[in-house]
Amino acid sequence: MQASLIIEQLKQQGVTHIVGLPDNGARILFEKIWADDDLTFVGVTREGEAFAVASGLYLGGITPAVIIQNTGFFETGDAFRGTCYNMGLPIVMLMGYRGYQTMVPDAPRVDTAATFLEPTLKAWDIPYSLMHNDEDAHLVADAFADARQRSRPAAVLIVNHTV
Amino acid sequence: MLNKYNCLKKLADARGEGDVVVTTMSVSMPWAELSDTHLDFAHVDSAMGHAADFAYGLAIAQPNRRVLCLNGDGSTLMCLGTLVTMTQHPAPNFTLVITENGTYEVTGSQIVPGAGAVDFAGLARAAGIEHVVTIASEADFDAHLAAHFDSPGPSVFVWKIEKADEPVPKPSRPIRDRAHDLRAALTGG
Repeated sequence: MQASLIIEQLKQQGVTHIVGLPDNGARILFEKIWADDDLTFVGVTREGEAFAVASGLYLGGITPAVIIQNTGFFETGDAFRGTCYNMGLPIVMLMGYRGYQTMVPDAPRVDTAATFLEPTLKAWDIPYSLMHNDEDAHLVADAFADARQRSRPAAVLIVNHTV
Repeated sequence: MLNKYNCLKKLADARGEGDVVVTTMSVSMPWAELSDTHLDFAHVDSAMGHAADFAYGLAIAQPNRRVLCLNGDGSTLMCLGTLVTMTQHPAPNFTLVITENGTYEVTGSQIVPGAGAVDFAGLARAAGIEHVVTIASEADFDAHLAAHFDSPGPSVFVWKIEKADEPVPKPSRPIRDRAHDLRAALTGG
């Protein structure tokens, strides 16, 4: 998945601020964001903060996007519920799907960061889509459209490492 | 020690027209009695420990307004990393007040871990925040009142307040409505 395509999609949605915490799978995406003069990166110390900061940014008139990994997402429960979800804010999160490739029959080791993810997203009432390759870049715009229409958060899961 | 209610009254009287005030837990309802406009946001029925980072986001988005967050000591401890987060992309218009009385006041005044031992001002300074003031007397409060609004942020003021007995805060309207009113007040939309 080309990071530049994701960034292009984010900019087309008016995103100016990225709130997040880097992970290995999205390393190139973060590096390109840091190098982009049109994007402001707000780094957080733990993923729950990302939803609180993004909610403040949005209410202040800015269009943010949250970028975190699924492992950190599990920590965000109360922060997500109590800020952007309860507030009804159209905040889009891009999330690295660590362990997706381990969810195959007879896998020697299954990553619970992967197996827990989609059930958790469903339980937390977060609509999501899976971004596998460059042809799926439009899912970013789709997520924003859905989030804005329903006035609630939405997620795009980044299945493969960004390049 | 400070009387919380006296401090809030003085802060409300000194507050500028466009300033945003985010409150949480034991401060939110007393503050609402002093000021309850759309720029007063009770971070209640929300996410525990996430008022400061939420307010920090507001401050980044609204650089021409002062944004104050009145946070508790227990709430601060719930997301201590925010002291570091708020130094990474400094908002010069952001003021964080930590009201310290060592108790979870609204749940029955149980003792906060580290009560009386944690040095909140020291934590803030160690996180990289330059303007940090601890206030323990009315005279000191009066002397530093204006700085809550005009010191170069991010600023942290630790109020050493008396124990009190506030009930669980119950805002009159859902957080969703209050949030959208705040956005409308800030953006005109």
